[in-house]
Amino acid sequence: MKFFDKLKNNENYKKWFKDAFPYVVGALLLSFFQIVTFASTGNPWGVSGVLANWGAWLFRAVGGSVDNWYYFSTPGAQATLQRGVLMDPGSWRNIGIIVGALLATLLASGFKIKKIKSGKQVVAAVLGGLLMGYGARIAAGCNIGALYSGISSLSVSGWVFGLFLLGGAIVGSKLLTKFFL
Amino acid sequence: MAKEVTLDCMGEACPVPLIKTEKALEKLEKGDVLVVQIDHSCAMKNVPEWARKQGHNVEIEEVDDGEWELFIEKV
Repeated sequence: MKFFDKLKNNENYKKWFKDAFPYVVGALLLSFFQIVTFASTGNPWGVSGVLANWGAWLFRAVGGSVDNWYYFSTPGAQATLQRGVLMDPGSWRNIGIIVGALLATLLASGFKIKKIKSGKQVVAAVLGGLLMGYGARIAAGCNIGALYSGISSLSVSGWVFGLFLLGGAIVGSKLLTKFFL
Repeated sequence: MAKEVTLDCMGEACPVPLIKTEKALEKLEKGDVLVVQIDHSCAMKNVPEWARKQGHNVEIEEVDDGEWELFIEKV
């Protein structure tokens, strides 16, 4: 175990794996990979739309059909569903996010299964997840697909989305401090 | 006499640890130490950053994998 003790105090290990990168480095990496995504798949980066497709595939796997759902009625949506998960760039990207996040926390030896503190926390998490998911689909994008990809595609819609996101965040944090702290 | 107060932020995600820390520090006197227990790595970026910006003395101790104790001395 001597090796790991030595590694723990190694400057380069700390810099690259343990400590958080500066925000600017994160911004540059995100921008770079947005370009890579756009160039290689023809679409800007999106996260939550993929999750809706995962839901559709899951529903199909248990015998359901989404073919008559308005949301999946476009030829593009149908084609994506026909091609399947393995041929969907967005699915690979989302899997990459999950695996990458796990890897990053393991490399920093920061992995921990957290305890649920209260029933309130569970209610808030479930309610928050449902609202975010529903909102993201109604707005045809989340803070990645609609905000980040919208703005980087020089679309006004991204800025409009951002404005309302800011308003939502202000109201949300007021509610948070009122009901949670 | 300066006192030491412990704040349990285990299992809390952003921005809860930061808001709780702000509120707890408000109640303390100069020289008092607030020990914040955190197990959310993102909070380990924004809480020390905020405290240092306020001019407080901050020390970080990693107590276990993914668990930290933040010692903030109010200035």
